[in-house]
Amino acid sequence: MTDFMKKIKSAEYKSIFIVLIWLFVWQLISVTVHNKVLLVGPVETVGALSKMFLTEEYRSSIAFSLMRIIGGFFLGSILGILLAWASYRVKMIEDFLEPAILVLKAVPVASFVILLLIWAGNKILAFYISMLVVLPVLYLNTLGGLKATDVKLLEMAEVFRMPSLRRIRYIYMPSVYPYLRTGLQMALGMAWKSGVAAEVIGQPLGSMGNGLYQAKIYLETAELFAWTISIIFVSFLMEKAVLIVMDKTLGRG
Amino acid sequence: MLIFFKDITKIYDKNQVLKNISFEIDTNADNKDILLRGPSGIGKTTLLRIAAGLERPDEGNIEITMGEAAHGGYGLRAGMVFQENRLLEHLSAVDNVSCVNASVSRQRARAELLEVLPEEALDKPVRELSGGMKRRVAIVRAILPPSDLLIMDEPFTGLDAETREKVIRYIMDRKGKRPLILASHDVEGLPPMRELILK
Repeated sequence: MTDFMKKIKSAEYKSIFIVLIWLFVWQLISVTVHNKVLLVGPVETVGALSKMFLTEEYRSSIAFSLMRIIGGFFLGSILGILLAWASYRVKMIEDFLEPAILVLKAVPVASFVILLLIWAGNKILAFYISMLVVLPVLYLNTLGGLKATDVKLLEMAEVFRMPSLRRIRYIYMPSVYPYLRTGLQMALGMAWKSGVAAEVIGQPLGSMGNGLYQAKIYLETAELFAWTISIIFVSFLMEKAVLIVMDKTLGRG
Repeated sequence: MLIFFKDITKIYDKNQVLKNISFEIDTNADNKDILLRGPSGIGKTTLLRIAAGLERPDEGNIEITMGEAAHGGYGLRAGMVFQENRLLEHLSAVDNVSCVNASVSRQRARAELLEVLPEEALDKPVRELSGGMKRRVAIVRAILPPSDLLIMDEPFTGLDAETREKVIRYIMDRKGKRPLILASHDVEGLPPMRELILK
């Protein structure tokens, strides 16, 4: 085994050890509190999760929320990137969009949720909310990356009449990519948090947010924790998947 | 074709960099190549940028006459070596030459680069090449695509005497009938050219 591999292995063991310590602390606190409504430990949470996992309702809830939040995330990302490109090309569009982007960033998610509940109902609330949360993040990050593109290379491309697609691939992408990657990573986490929060407020039947809410009503703290862990896990998987696809396609060259 | 730079004046922040510069290039004449000279900061790069269409003069213009027809010169296709290399640092020398120019194949880029660079330098990312090697990549990139005019701003920076001689031969051989506007402090080894001195 090389020194490098040994280092990775030792870092992995260290992380696992730290997580185990925290789980132990959590279990210890729950045993000390000794109240299953106030706090449950990791053992009860895993028990609740394994019971939920076997039900059709759990799996369909994940599919329900996943589709809407992913859909909102992708549409918000695409719109953010396209609007950033338009703003980069035409300063007037950037000036025109600035107040709207500021509003999108500043208005609390809860206010959007209530408004959208009135306007569009609760069926695809998580879709709209995650889209609205993702859009300004991707817009600002993409625009930042575009503005950071090396002007001297753009002049070179202009002189040589470099075809547009090659300019995008070889000049804009290397500049925008780090901004885009950070933006997508941030936006994914935000999409999940806001999407599930919207479901908790809007209560669409058969959603993860609804499951979370039901657990709260019936004081099923173990289920509440199990739903939370499920949300974190699905969000984590989605983030990894998006970043792997992105690194393999756009991150090359 | 007659390219007429007419009363070119350029002002930056109330500072007049170029004042009424006029000269013409007859692409059919023997003296079509121009050596641009003058002290640093006199406006040589600005004049070259105007010739390449990257900047517009505040006064004056470029006129092109082809037979009876005349039109503004900003549509001129230029092959340019900038003062800096302006290469895509993450790409190889071959990719730098072929990606930028849609009309240049990888095979041709490779064959031409071999004229001025060792083979082992062709496929490395250019960020791993020396300054002199990068300069040669920039020169080949400017020379290969079809153009109306070649513009070179201090193209021999970072080249030793032997390489410089080789590169000068390469440029003069490959430029064909295209006129060359060359700004260089060091004129050693250059073929005779019409001089335009900025004061």
